[in-house]
Amino acid sequence: MAGYARSTTSVALSVWKALFLREAVSRVSAGRAAWVWMLLEPIVHVVFLMLLFTLVRLRVITGAETAIWLLVGLTSFFTARNIYTRGMEALNANQALFAYRQVLPVDTVLVRGALEAFLGVIVALLLLAGAGLFGFQVIPHDPLAVLAGLAGMCLCGLGLGLILSVASDLVPELGRIAQLLFTPLYFLSGVIFPLTVVPVQYREWLFYNPFSHGLELLRGGFFPLYPVAPEANFAYLFGFAVAVVFLGLAMHVRYADRLRAK
Amino acid sequence: MIIVDDVHKRYHTDHGVGKWVLKGVSFAIPPKVSVGLVGRNGAGKSTLLRLIGGVDTPSRGRIERHCRVSWPMGYGGGLHGTLTGRQNAKFVCRIHGCEDDLDERVAMVEDFAELGEAFDDPVKTYSSGMKSRLQFGLSLAFDFDVYISDEVTAAGDAAFRAKAAAAFQKVADHAGLIMVSHAEGTLRQFCTAGIWLHEGRAHWFDDLDEALKHYKESLTA
Repeated sequence: MAGYARSTTSVALSVWKALFLREAVSRVSAGRAAWVWMLLEPIVHVVFLMLLFTLVRLRVITGAETAIWLLVGLTSFFTARNIYTRGMEALNANQALFAYRQVLPVDTVLVRGALEAFLGVIVALLLLAGAGLFGFQVIPHDPLAVLAGLAGMCLCGLGLGLILSVASDLVPELGRIAQLLFTPLYFLSGVIFPLTVVPVQYREWLFYNPFSHGLELLRGGFFPLYPVAPEANFAYLFGFAVAVVFLGLAMHVRYADRLRAK
Repeated sequence: MIIVDDVHKRYHTDHGVGKWVLKGVSFAIPPKVSVGLVGRNGAGKSTLLRLIGGVDTPSRGRIERHCRVSWPMGYGGGLHGTLTGRQNAKFVCRIHGCEDDLDERVAMVEDFAELGEAFDDPVKTYSSGMKSRLQFGLSLAFDFDVYISDEVTAAGDAAFRAKAAAAFQKVADHAGLIMVSHAEGTLRQFCTAGIWLHEGRAHWFDDLDEALKHYKESLTA
C-alpha cells in the first residue's frame, strides 16, 4: 500500500472516487426504486404545469414550445437546486467518514455537486429523448450556449452549497433560514414563467439572481426565436459563480477544524 | 517516528471556547515501539489519539508523522450506517489507494469479520459486537507502521476476542502501536512503553509499569 508517500493530489483523487461511488450508491439505491423518482419528479412537474398553462391560463411561450421550454428549465433548475440543497447536507451525511484523515469536509460537498450535475444531465437527456419520441423538437439550436448556461447554474449551485454547508454546520439556524428561501428562489428564477413578462423596473431586481441569467441564456440557446431578456448575460452568471465558489472554498479552509470536530 | 511537539487542544462548544484538554503535550514515539496510553476518564486520551491520527488538528503546537499511521480505530467510528459492511470496506480501501487489489482486501475483511450474510446488510443494523468485528477486520487489511487503537480489542464474544488478540499480536510484532485501554492486561500484553496523561500533560515512561503505577497513584490520591 502506498501510505503516506502518496502525493496530496493522488490522495484527493482516490478520496473523490471513493466518495463519488459511495454517494452514487446511496442516491440511486436509497429506498425502493429511487431512480424512478428522480425521473418522475420533473415529469410530474411538467405535466402539472402544462395542465395549468393550457387549461387555466392559456399561455403560450413566445418563440418556444411550452412543454420543452418547461422541461429544459425545470430539469436544469432542479439540477442546480439539488447541488446546493444536497451539498448543504453533505457534511452531516458523511460525518462518520471524517474518522479518516484523508477525507476532508470540502470533498464531500464537491463530490455531491459533481454527482448531482451528472445525474441531472442524465435525467434531462432521458426526458428530452422521450419527448423527442413524441415528436417534439428537442435538438438545441446552440448547444454550447445551453451547456454554458447549465454549467454556470451548476457552479452557482456548488458555490451556494459550499457556503451553506459551512454556515449551517456552524450556525444550524442559518440552514433553516436558507431552506425557507429556496421556494421563493424557484419562483423568482423564472422557472415557470418567462422573465420578459415582468415589467422592466422590477426585472432589474430579478436579475440579481444568477439563476435568472442561467435559465434565460439556456433557453435562448435552445430555442432560436425565444426572446431572451436583455439583462441576461454570461458575465454576471460566471462572475457570480466564481465569487461564491471562491467564498465557499475559503470558508471551508478557514473553518476546516471546526467542521471535523464533533 | 511520530513527533508530538507542545500540543495544546481545546474544543469550541455552543457556549464558546471550552477549557484546555491538553496543555503542552510533547513526546516522540520511536519506530516499532508500542505505547499504552493511560489516564483517568476525560484526561484527553481519545483526543490525543484523534490528533495523532490526523482527524483533528491541535489548537497550538504540531504533530509530525514520519510513517504510515492508521486512523483511530474503535468505538464504531469510521463506519457509515447506511452503507453495507462490504461497501464500507471498499470505501476504506479506495481512500487508502488500494484500488488494484481491492477484491482481495475486501475478501480478507469479510473472512476475518465472519459476519456471514450480514456483511451485505447496512451497518446501522449491526450490533456493537458486529461493528467491532468489521472494524477489526478493516484495520488488519492494511499495513501501517503505527496502529492507533481506542479499545478496539475490547468488544466481541470470547472466541472472537481470542482470535483478535492473536491477530493483533502479529501486527504488534512488526509495527508500532498506540493504544488506549482500561484493561491493564491488554496493555501489558501489547505495550512496552507508557504515556500517562494527567492534568493536560503527558508523562513518558519507557516502562509501561511505571506509567501504570503513577496512574494508579493519581486515582487514589
